[in-house]
Amino acid sequence: MPTVTMNVNGRQRSADIDPRTLLVQFLRENLRLTGTHVGCDTSQCGACVVHIDGEAVKACTTLALSCEGSNVLTIEGLANGNELHPMQEAFREHHGLQCGFCTPGMIMTAVDLVRRKGNNLDEKTIREELEGNLCRCTGYHNIVKAIAAGARNMSSMPQSKAAE
Amino acid sequence: MGATGIGAAIPRKEDHRFITGKGRYVDDINRPGQAYAYFLRSPHAHAKINRIDTSAAQNAPGVVEVYTGDDIAADKVGGLICGWLIHSKDGSPMNAGPHPALAQGKVRYVGDHVAVVIADTLAQARDAAEKIEVDYEVLPAVIDLANAQSGAQIHDVAPNNVVYDWHLGDKAATDKAFASAKHVTKLQLVNNRLVPNPMEPRAAVGEYEEGTDSLVLYTTSQNPHVARLVLSAFIGLAPEHKFRVIAPDVGGGFGSKIFIYAEETICVWAARKIRRPVKWNCDRTEAFLCDAHGRDHVTHAELATDAEGKITGLRVSTKANLGAYLSTFASSVPTYLYVPLLSGQYNIPAIYGEVMALYTNTAPVDAYRGAGRPEATFVIERIVEMAARELNMDPAEFRRKNFVTQFPHQTPVIMCYDTGDYDASLKKAQEIHDIAGFASRKAKSESQGKLRGLGYSAYIEACGIAPSAAVGSLGAGVGLWESAEVRVNPIGTVEILTGSHSHGQGHETTFAQLVSDRLGIPIDNVSIVHGDTDKVQMGMGTYGSRSGAVGMSAIFKALDKIEVKAKKVAAHVLEASEGDIEFKDGKFAVKGTDKNADWGTIALQAYIAHKFNGQELEPGLKESAFWDPTNFTFPAGVHICELEVDPATGSTTIEKWTAVDDFGNLINPMIVEGQVHGGIAQGVGQALLEGAIYNEDGQLITASFMDYCMPRAHDVPSYQVGMTTTPCPSNPLGIKGCGEAGAIASPPAVINALTNALGHENLQMPATPERVWKAAQGARLRMAAE
Amino acid sequence: MAMTMKGEVELPADRETVWAKLNDPEVLKVCIPGCQSLEKTADNEMQAVAKVKVGPVSATFKGKVTLSDIDPPNGYRISGEGQGGIAGFAKGGARVALTSADVGTKLSYDVEAQVGGKIAQLGSRMIDGVAKKMADQFFSNFAEAVSPSATAI
Repeated sequence: MPTVTMNVNGRQRSADIDPRTLLVQFLRENLRLTGTHVGCDTSQCGACVVHIDGEAVKACTTLALSCEGSNVLTIEGLANGNELHPMQEAFREHHGLQCGFCTPGMIMTAVDLVRRKGNNLDEKTIREELEGNLCRCTGYHNIVKAIAAGARNMSSMPQSKAAE
Repeated sequence: MGATGIGAAIPRKEDHRFITGKGRYVDDINRPGQAYAYFLRSPHAHAKINRIDTSAAQNAPGVVEVYTGDDIAADKVGGLICGWLIHSKDGSPMNAGPHPALAQGKVRYVGDHVAVVIADTLAQARDAAEKIEVDYEVLPAVIDLANAQSGAQIHDVAPNNVVYDWHLGDKAATDKAFASAKHVTKLQLVNNRLVPNPMEPRAAVGEYEEGTDSLVLYTTSQNPHVARLVLSAFIGLAPEHKFRVIAPDVGGGFGSKIFIYAEETICVWAARKIRRPVKWNCDRTEAFLCDAHGRDHVTHAELATDAEGKITGLRVSTKANLGAYLSTFASSVPTYLYVPLLSGQYNIPAIYGEVMALYTNTAPVDAYRGAGRPEATFVIERIVEMAARELNMDPAEFRRKNFVTQFPHQTPVIMCYDTGDYDASLKKAQEIHDIAGFASRKAKSESQGKLRGLGYSAYIEACGIAPSAAVGSLGAGVGLWESAEVRVNPIGTVEILTGSHSHGQGHETTFAQLVSDRLGIPIDNVSIVHGDTDKVQMGMGTYGSRSGAVGMSAIFKALDKIEVKAKKVAAHVLEASEGDIEFKDGKFAVKGTDKNADWGTIALQAYIAHKFNGQELEPGLKESAFWDPTNFTFPAGVHICELEVDPATGSTTIEKWTAVDDFGNLINPMIVEGQVHGGIAQGVGQALLEGAIYNEDGQLITASFMDYCMPRAHDVPSYQVGMTTTPCPSNPLGIKGCGEAGAIASPPAVINALTNALGHENLQMPATPERVWKAAQGARLRMAAE
Repeated sequence: MAMTMKGEVELPADRETVWAKLNDPEVLKVCIPGCQSLEKTADNEMQAVAKVKVGPVSATFKGKVTLSDIDPPNGYRISGEGQGGIAGFAKGGARVALTSADVGTKLSYDVEAQVGGKIAQLGSRMIDGVAKKMADQFFSNFAEAVSPSATAI
């Protein structure tokens, strides 16, 4: 079996894997990072979104081997120690989650959205940009509010962390 | 206790683990030595199984075992059950066909369980499943409700595929009301079949502990104790004291995780067979095929009105599709959760409803968010709106004229509404919505070639479900109380063990708010324990918006007992008589003195037991209670949907949504509003987007998120949510329940708004752009002519 | 998922040659896209294995191919039913008719096919396109097989 090595949440991780192993399986099963979820089998729901080299990617349609040498950030690595990322804090503050299953993907997508579109996001932009993430609980109302607030609060973050 | 007590909109305690990726869902649980199960499913809707050859699969790499229906029959594993007995009009019991966990001789829907492969890895199990050869003899499939009675017979016990032919209400009185009616409004409608789709697919890990000869099942359940009861007492896997069911974090349910399914049953059964833990994780396609679906009615309804525009009668005839097998509570949904709600918020002297439930070669249909009540609300709110339009009355005024205003109000269909102020919700909704501005908004839309419509839905639901004796008399196989235990620790922290289960509802916060409020202790000193049959004594679980009204009432009752006991301890500690002890804001005080002791002191004294005689007063501070409600609760409210249709494309945009609900007292308004938002989105999904479609052969052609259109963020608007309050008189907290209201209220609001925009009533759900475009062509021509 | 498709194709060979090739398992094996094996098991009956990909679902179908309504050299009905394991099943038939044309032979076909299981759930939107593509491929392969330069097959 081939060996894959990548940096996950700041740590070098390496494993021998079946070539068909998906990134989400590698994260969940090899590294036991179970915060990244699998909600569908057609790449539609976005529960598995992680960042690869700073960009949001669906880990359910990414082969782990294709991430050789990459920097991968999952929901577990988003907070700075005990200090929550502003987007995490905004989801809590604005009740942007209920069952919590879509939440890691939503938060990772939202952080990437801020990277791409800036800190002042209007409702229409947020709703359109959430095209790839499904939530069945919240009706999106509070997710949209949380992302707008989280985006604003990210403007006061150090640049390097905000870009992750 | 203002800051964190009852009524405080505080952020949720459970959120930290979810936003940091530390939630613990069933698929996150792995047990040492576990094997993986993969189910081979029927690709045919209806077929005889002549032969299954598993030999090649048995010998495939990594395979531990392959089981078929023969194996579970040999082990005498009981079939899956339906726990609510309905009797037909003629008094005969419903025709419940056998429902084996693995098919025996016949498959009855695409996705039916044919065999299970258990292997060292999931990939090996799946690869081996490819090697199973099944010789099917394909039979004609029964898909369409309209032809179900004349189609091939699906179960030997059910001639013409009839499960039951049931009715409720006074037919003669209703016919009489129609005979003397001034006007009769008629409505033919379809309540479209839905797939619940909680974002977390179902999953299970079954485990056998050899040393104690006991079973453990980790499962995505809304009601782990009910799962244990059924798996133990009916399916016969192990007695309850040798069987632990754990439902950890569960990623949404919406009804679909109430039921006891084949896969979970097989996992725990097989774990004992192979002496290894067995894990199964449902993929989304399997969830589409095999999770119990919702709704699926075809209904004809008639509403009689008199010369003054007063409703005098309602007659409803429904065909309900229950799928290929009766799911756990399937039979109750189109009967007692449906017809008793047809009175809506209205004073209707005569109601008669009849329901023919039918088997088809489709996935089983059972409770989905609202369960029967959305179907009833769709009927009554559509026909009331149509009647108003036919009578040239303002739809709001027509409703107002017919509202129930005196309470208690006994409807002709079982329910006794205890309290409410329907006009207050209507008025407030109209104010928030700016109804007065609708005409100018409509004119503006029309100037841009768009059609604008406004629709009301004044819904009522019956929640809590309900007095055990009452549901027992209607056929329920269980009681519907809830249990709670309050454990006070020696340092005064508190653990609440509840039979309710949270899978997104925020019980860890709201239940703690109640305790914090009642005992005057910080909310962080309270933890909520649920979802484990070894920890919580018993429980009926979470569905029917019952966790607040029933689950919290049980906690309240147990806290009453705690207070009584703690006062006894305090009386000894403070050397006063028990009757002189007052408990307030976390302090025990002796009336008329400055002597007092705080909560933590009394808790400690209860356990060290130095200040009282342990023979006269038991040491410790722990109480439990069961709460059996005395009535259903009746949340009600008014939703207003305003939308715009582009007649050129048929696309619908919801411009404005107002919801005013009366849920009684609120524990955490932020969480309550979140429940409303989510419910509305599901109802909008039903009205505009979602529909499970089987083709004529019984293939589910909407079996992925590519083809089944779930509402996405840009499909729904932001919502304006308001509240009115009439406290519920039948529980100590005055709570009515809020979990299902949005999904119940919203579909008719959307369709009423769309038909208002289009100028005619002929529009079925889901009102997809294609359907709306076709329906809009008349309106388009009218606009062009003007 | 019932799917129907009709078409015709002009082949550069006489009717007898075309008929012979249509009854030759070796020729059919080469022409059927994805066909891994095709063996004659009885008169007018063959056992086939074919690998087919429909959208995201890829499956190896195993099954029986039967020839009926045989009317040499005017045509027959070819029908088959394949089990694709966890991907589901495919079954169908084609009525094939041969008529002499100005140059060579005109072959007309009338296909009806059904799929079920996962292939229907995930691939239903692609199934028509896949079937047409497979038919096109089959007949272009077949035209090549019957062309005089290829008689060696």
